[in-house]
Amino acid sequence: MIEKKKQLGDKIIEIYDLHKHFGHVEAVNGVTMHVNRGEVVVIIGPSGSGKSTLLRCINHLETPTSGKIIVDGIDATAKGADINALRAEIGIVFQLFNLFPHLTALENITLAQRVVRKRSHKEAERIAHEELVKVGIPEKADSYPDKLSGGQQQRVAIARALAMQPKIMLFDEPTSALDPEMIKEVLDVMLELADEGMTMVVVSHEMGFAKAAADRMIFLDEGVIVEDTTPEGLFTAPKHERTKLFLSKILH
Amino acid sequence: MAEPTVTTTKSKQAKPRRISLADVPWWVVIVVLVGIYLAYAMLSNEKYIDAFTFILPGVKITLQVTFLAYALALVIGLIAGLMRVSKNPVLYAISTLYVEIIRGLPMLVILLYAGYVISPAIRDATNRTITFSDLQEGIIGLAIGYGAYLAEVYRSGIESIHRGQMEAARSLGMTYMQAMRHVILPQAIRRILPPLGNDFIAMLKDSSLVALLALPDLLQMGRLYVSRTFRAFEGYNSVALLYLVLTLCLSSLVRLIERRWSID
Repeated sequence: MIEKKKQLGDKIIEIYDLHKHFGHVEAVNGVTMHVNRGEVVVIIGPSGSGKSTLLRCINHLETPTSGKIIVDGIDATAKGADINALRAEIGIVFQLFNLFPHLTALENITLAQRVVRKRSHKEAERIAHEELVKVGIPEKADSYPDKLSGGQQQRVAIARALAMQPKIMLFDEPTSALDPEMIKEVLDVMLELADEGMTMVVVSHEMGFAKAAADRMIFLDEGVIVEDTTPEGLFTAPKHERTKLFLSKILH
Repeated sequence: MAEPTVTTTKSKQAKPRRISLADVPWWVVIVVLVGIYLAYAMLSNEKYIDAFTFILPGVKITLQVTFLAYALALVIGLIAGLMRVSKNPVLYAISTLYVEIIRGLPMLVILLYAGYVISPAIRDATNRTITFSDLQEGIIGLAIGYGAYLAEVYRSGIESIHRGQMEAARSLGMTYMQAMRHVILPQAIRRILPPLGNDFIAMLKDSSLVALLALPDLLQMGRLYVSRTFRAFEGYNSVALLYLVLTLCLSSLVRLIERRWSID
C-alpha cells in the first residue's frame, strides 16, 4: 500500500446543497461536500444511488436542479458561467469509453487540443504521443478504436482527457465495462495518476484501488451522503447500518 | 422519392472468390443488351437520329438543374436538420413547419409556386431589382422541396449517433457546434450516405418537372420534338433512354462514393 504523506491543498471542488431531479426521481438529494487539490475521492454506493449523476453535475453534463458547485473558485452554477472553459479543465472518463470511432487513437487525443486549446497540429501530436506513452500504448497511435481492446480504448480515453492538462479528473465507473483481465491495466494508469498528485473523483467499486489510492471515501445512498471518511474508517469501522450492509455485499 | 435503397456495398468480401451464375449482375447484362439494340436501332434509323440530336441538348439543362439543386438542397437540409435537433424551441418550430409544409405538397406544386407565385412576388416587391431566371426558379424550387426530405435524413443520422459521443466532445470543452462539426456530423454523414444517394437519383428524375417552367430540359425537348413532328414513339423513347443512361451512371457514381466513404 502506498504511504500517504502527500500535502493536500485548498478546496478545488465545493458542492453546496446539490439537488438533481429527473422528473419525480430525486437522483441527488441535497449533497454538500468538497474536494481538496490533489485529493483522491472514491464514491461508492448502490446502483441508482446518484453517484454518476453527482459526478456528471461537476462538469455540467447534468444541469443541477438547485444548489451550488464551485470549481477552482469559479461558480459554475451562476448565470453566464463559461461552461465550456470550465469543462476543458475537468477531464472525465466514461464507463463506455466514448472514443470517437471515426478518428484514430492519436486523432482522438489531438482533436480537442486543437479545437479547444488552439494548439498546432505538431504540438498536439507531440503531447498526444507523450500521453500514449504514459498510458502504455504508444504503438497504438494510428489504430482506430474498433481495433483496440476495451482496456486499450479506456487508456486512450484517459490519455485524451489528460492531454487537455486538466486540473481535475473524474472517473465514472471506468472499469465496469471491461473484461476482468483488462481491469488492472486501467487501474495501474489511475494509480500512477493518483501518485502524481492529480485531483481525482472516482465512482468505482474497485476496492483494491480505493484502499491503495483513496484519501477519502464517500458512501452515497438514495442521493445523500451517508458516510464521508477515510478508507480505513470505512472498511474497518463503518458507522451506519446501510454502509455495513452495502460493504458486506461487495466485499467477499 | 422513396425507392428502396441501392446498397449492397460491403456484403460479399469475406468469402473466397468463386464466381457463380448468381453473382453475375444479370440486370446490367440485360440493360447493356437492350441499350446496344436501341443504339443500333437509332443509329440505323433516320427518325431516331433526328429525335436524338434534337433532344440531346436538354441533357445539359437536366444535369445542371440536378447538380445545382441537389447541392443547394444539401445545404438547406443540413441547416434545417440541425434546427430539427436543436433544443431552441424557435429554431425547432421553424424547421418543423418548413418540413411539414413542404412534405405535404407535391413537388410539382412547389415548382409552380416557385415559378409563378413566389418569384413574381419577389420581383414586384423589389421593383424588379431582384429577378429570377427560369433556371434559377427551377433550381430553387427543387432545392427547397428536397431540402425538407434531406433535413429529415440528416436528423435521423444525427440522432442515430450515441449520445455518449456528444457528451465526450462537450466534456473536453468543445462547444455544441464544434462537437457537431468534428464528432457528430462526420459519423452521421457516413451513415446517411445511402439515403442521400437515393435522393440524388430521385432528384434527377424529379428535375423533369422543371419542364413545366418551360425550361428546355430533357423532357421539355422531347415534348417539343413530339409536338413538332408528331413522332411520339421516337421522341419519348429517346427521352426515356437518355434518362435511364443518366440514372444508371449516377447510381454507379453514388455506389463508388459510398464504397470510398464507408466506415471500415
